[in-house]
Amino acid sequence: MNVWELAAEVMIFTLVPLTWMSIHGDVRQRLVTFYMAGVVITLLMMLLTMAFNRMPMMDLALTLALMSFGGGIVFARFLARYLK
Amino acid sequence: MKSMAIDILLAVGVLITLLSVLGMWRMRDPYQRMHYISAPAALSAACFTIAIFLQDGLKPEGFKALLTTLVLMGMNTAVTHAAARALRISETKDWNPPPGEEVPLRPEDELVQPEGKQ
Repeated sequence: MNVWELAAEVMIFTLVPLTWMSIHGDVRQRLVTFYMAGVVITLLMMLLTMAFNRMPMMDLALTLALMSFGGGIVFARFLARYLK
Repeated sequence: MKSMAIDILLAVGVLITLLSVLGMWRMRDPYQRMHYISAPAALSAACFTIAIFLQDGLKPEGFKALLTTLVLMGMNTAVTHAAARALRISETKDWNPPPGEEVPLRPEDELVQPEGKQ
């Protein structure tokens, strides 16, 4: 096990409280948790790319970061418009 | 020396993310929770990118990681603002403060006066 794998395995545990927060609470709390999960999973992708030495997988982290941005804006607009 | 720097950068990045998630868990309302997204998006991503550059040198994966970090930093500011605005609109039906709401930005600012008392 290299240090990148160790870092990725520790990072995976941060998804446990994020999952709990995504299930519980009102829709506003869950929206913020969704943003945090997007950032954490993007960082996890970067670590896993280095851990497994599969460099093309870095594109997945970049794609996820871009898609999280679009998804976050869409969810925010939806919340403002329809969930009053 | 280089491997020790990589270890330290990874440890710092992971620790920042862990503390941010735990801090987010402890906060009560979504406005407080939102502040905790910025630390992993900026600091942890920067630590990991520097570690990747140290490990592999000036290779394409390092520049992809740098681009990902820049996207995360830019995304965080825009999405946090959009989310805060959306939460505000979902609570008060309007972005602007209603009359009588106490929202002074500076200590010398006056309170928003109720209608008819201007």
